[in-house]
Amino acid sequence: MNKKIRDSILTLLATFILLIWILPLIWSVFVSLKSEIEVMAYPPNIFFEPTLNNFRDAISGSLSIVSELADSLIIATITTTLTLLLSIPAAYSLARLNLVGKKKLGFYVLATQMIPPMGLVIPYYLILGKFGWLDTYHGMIIVYMTFSLPFAIWLMVSFMEDIPREMEEAAFLDKASRVKTLLYIIIPQVKGGIAVTTLFTFMNAWNEFLFAVQLSGNKVRPVTIAMYNFVSVEQTMWAKLCAAALIAMIPVIIIGIIGNNHIVKGLTLGAVKGGGRK
Amino acid sequence: MNPSVKQEKSFAIMLAAPSVLVLIITTTFPILYLIWSSFQNINLAMPMNDGFAGIENYIEMFKDKQYWKSFRLTIIYTVSTVSLQLLIGLGLALLILRIPKAQWVFRLMAILPIVLAPVVVGLFWRTLMLTPDFGIVDFFTQAIGLGSHAWLSEPKLALFSVILIHTWQWTPFAFLVLLASLASLPSDLYEAAKIDRASAIKRFFYITLPLIRPAIIIIVIMRSMIALSAYAAIYAATRGGPGTATEILNLYAYRTSFLEVNFGYGSTLAVFILVVTVSVATVLYLIRKKNN
Repeated sequence: MNKKIRDSILTLLATFILLIWILPLIWSVFVSLKSEIEVMAYPPNIFFEPTLNNFRDAISGSLSIVSELADSLIIATITTTLTLLLSIPAAYSLARLNLVGKKKLGFYVLATQMIPPMGLVIPYYLILGKFGWLDTYHGMIIVYMTFSLPFAIWLMVSFMEDIPREMEEAAFLDKASRVKTLLYIIIPQVKGGIAVTTLFTFMNAWNEFLFAVQLSGNKVRPVTIAMYNFVSVEQTMWAKLCAAALIAMIPVIIIGIIGNNHIVKGLTLGAVKGGGRK
Repeated sequence: MNPSVKQEKSFAIMLAAPSVLVLIITTTFPILYLIWSSFQNINLAMPMNDGFAGIENYIEMFKDKQYWKSFRLTIIYTVSTVSLQLLIGLGLALLILRIPKAQWVFRLMAILPIVLAPVVVGLFWRTLMLTPDFGIVDFFTQAIGLGSHAWLSEPKLALFSVILIHTWQWTPFAFLVLLASLASLPSDLYEAAKIDRASAIKRFFYITLPLIRPAIIIIVIMRSMIALSAYAAIYAATRGGPGTATEILNLYAYRTSFLEVNFGYGSTLAVFILVVTVSVATVLYLIRKKNN
């Protein structure tokens, strides 16, 4: 067969499969632009007069998810910041320095990363309850550290290991110069790694649901819980759910698009050592 | 000891200590607490019976029919989602690899399902895709003469649906990792095999597959861990129902703890999930180590 014809058939086939694959997303965009009456039309309409009402309601109407977005932003940002502050020095120590019990510590971090969330949500419900920290920002941030910190440490370790060794050898004199080495030589070398770690940590915190639904929900309401209000036994506000969900997913979709190549690298790098968690 | 070496050691400890301390407080301590609660009666509905229970909860677990059912569902769910992701992901990667142009478009699109919150994925599928007489999947099965189905409220179909949802979201991950791995294979091996007139099937099984085995093992490790901790998408789509048709161990432990407020027994179930996860991880890592 002619190579050109074969290539175009393959491209067509691949495009078709891809379109089917992301159909749920494409369709959610369609539905989000429909009026509630239009949504109910069956068989589904592809041609209709689009409206931005659902998006307006999700931002400013009675179904606004703005305060939930703010809560998620607060929790995800603080979690990410703390995670970076803790994980970068720890990863440097694990990857490059003569740390006592390095292997055992590395294994310990890996083990903490594997803890299933169900194993944590039960004790945390009881423990946070005793402290009166349920439904608080600091309570949620502590809980989110349990999955973000081990993951970030391992991800950073794999980036630190890629730096050529000669870089820091000469600079070792006293404690001050060690700190300087870390700040001015090592950290600039792993800028890319820090960016990937930031994106991953933020995304995992933003998307988290189990801890959010059980350990918060009234005063503190992450956006993943808000989605639930649109689907109840009595009625389902399909179009409004789609609009709100799309707004809520904008940050992670942007992260996916800008971090495209890095995310694949990050996923596999993390995979070499341990693996992420959603 | 050389003073510089000694100083490096103390510096290393100084840098690692905060993280280790935070991990001990936020993960190890709660897990110890969980193990302790699994040996207690903690039932918010019947607090008068609270106290040390010994191995009572564990005996109850092995006698509990729902536990066995959930355990079986967890195995079905994990094995089927991981194998489907691998097979479909590999098929797609082999296909996209042969496309001459614009591979990046496919890679970019593949990122989308991965970055979505699983709870949103579960809700989208429950509403837009699987609702009878409304959803796209139902529309298509009617259009091709297979009829309308209660995708999420008929037990067997519901299990199929939650497996489908998980596979939909995570196959792109396997696809992307396999695509990267396939793209990095040395092409001269294939040239040699072509000269030797090895068939395409033979080339795949004797050259490609052994070379991408590390990537496959990594995918199996990561995807098994994620499948074993799956919760949000199923909760959003079926809440474990109809009845307990899709109630994998995570959902059963959740229901026991938070809806029936039986935290003692819930903890026991969670300890079991922990044991399963650690065992699976250990076995997979040993396989991986042997392979390297």
